[in-house]
Amino acid sequence: MYDSLGTQSGVPRPSLNPQPNPFGNAFYGAGSGLIRGGLGAYGEKILGSSSEYVQSNISRYFSDPQYYFQVNDQYVRNKLKVVLFPFLHRGHWTRITEPVGGRLSYKPPIYDINAPDLYIPLMAFGTYVVLSGFLMGLLGRFSPEALSLQFTWGLGCWFGQVLVLKLMLYTLGSGEAPLLDMVAYGGYAFTGVCVNILGRIIWSFSYYFLMTWTALSMGVFLVKTMKRVLFAEVRSHASSMHNYCLLLLALAQIPLFIFLGWIKA
Amino acid sequence: MAKEFNVPPVVFPSGGNPGSGPQQRRVPTAPFQPPRPANPNLPFMSFDIGSAPPPTSFSAPVFGATGVGIGSSFEDEPPLLEELGINTRQIWRKTISILNPFRANANLHEDADLSGPFIFLIAFGLFQLLAGKIHFGVILGWVTFASFFLYVVFNMLAGRNGNLDLYRCLSLLGYCMLPVVIFSAFSLFIPQGGVVAYSMAAVFVLWSTRVCTCLLVELASCGDEHRGLIAYACFLIYTLFSLLVIF
Repeated sequence: MYDSLGTQSGVPRPSLNPQPNPFGNAFYGAGSGLIRGGLGAYGEKILGSSSEYVQSNISRYFSDPQYYFQVNDQYVRNKLKVVLFPFLHRGHWTRITEPVGGRLSYKPPIYDINAPDLYIPLMAFGTYVVLSGFLMGLLGRFSPEALSLQFTWGLGCWFGQVLVLKLMLYTLGSGEAPLLDMVAYGGYAFTGVCVNILGRIIWSFSYYFLMTWTALSMGVFLVKTMKRVLFAEVRSHASSMHNYCLLLLALAQIPLFIFLGWIKA
Repeated sequence: MAKEFNVPPVVFPSGGNPGSGPQQRRVPTAPFQPPRPANPNLPFMSFDIGSAPPPTSFSAPVFGATGVGIGSSFEDEPPLLEELGINTRQIWRKTISILNPFRANANLHEDADLSGPFIFLIAFGLFQLLAGKIHFGVILGWVTFASFFLYVVFNMLAGRNGNLDLYRCLSLLGYCMLPVVIFSAFSLFIPQGGVVAYSMAAVFVLWSTRVCTCLLVELASCGDEHRGLIAYACFLIYTLFSLLVIF
């Protein structure tokens, strides 16, 4: 059963949490902003004490990365289906909250298909690098330097995507969603890009059709998830401004996919 | 008829005394004369460049005296390979165990060592060199990065139970690189870019992946539910290295 991660001896901390004991308090899971936001979806926001507010400021930047890796095979399969074919997802898109230690937090990805994870984006990014190396080799332009250039380019695009998502959250809402959530949502784009590159390897003309289709799918996926994130954060739903921004986000996926599909060799 | 030259007498200073170590260090009298450390077991290890003396007089280095001075402990030193921690029999046994893709003997890989992977990676670089590609630095960098990647992914997936450390991760990754090294040797004889190359690459990469996953899951207690996830990470890493060989 998933419980508090207070005593982790063997797990390496990739130096993301600056405070010495971030898991001793009641905040864990997806960060305090969404904890409060989860309550906000059902009623008024509850403001904690001042020490919790200070701690929430620090844990706002990097929430616990262990939460994002609690995945299993079945979750990965289903999440890939949701990401690549979001219009076929019959269930709801909201994340399930559970009360732990007196606060509400989101369930980990094993129990909730709508929770973001970091395994799929990381693996999709690695697959993107390997597949683009394969494509470069087929085009006769492979070299290790070109592959590292492609790696840096992909990383830069991921960073740009996360920046766009975070900026949108800041302008529309309170911007309290954890950064790693945005990193995860931004990284799901790489699954679509991998499908594009695979299609290009198999038959080069399929690339254009696949690219428009995966870009639109990713647009739909992002719109649906960001709508839930925004709704959880902001009580007053200024609907027209939100909808225009979400539409812009969906349309921005097309140039992003063109950028990512550009083989730098 | 030889002209008589007035040659000044050459004086050899008696500086070969290991007992007067500190004094020697402060007042060196000859160039190329390393200050004698207090520890007589390491004769040639300390060379203090900062205390290079002004060339007042030239004298032959007095290593002979040094050798004589610590000669009593020279035979007591362990053999070189043992001192370096290279157990060749263990490396050979580990290598043989990798060659069987269907049964992984995890007990052999309990204690990690880096000399086997080092030999494999140098051999990989040599086979690439024979194919006309200089990839030594690339292999070194990519292995480092890949082992760090696998370390992060494995420990994050395993959660509290993960006890894989970076040294063992690098050792396992290097040992399971053996099929890719064999592939790079075979690829010297097959036409480049043909169907044979791709199918052989697939076979060898799957072999590497299978052995690596079996060893990882057995050695670092991860749990079987993450087997497929770990296998995909290993598959990505070995495909990356096979790209170096194919293209």
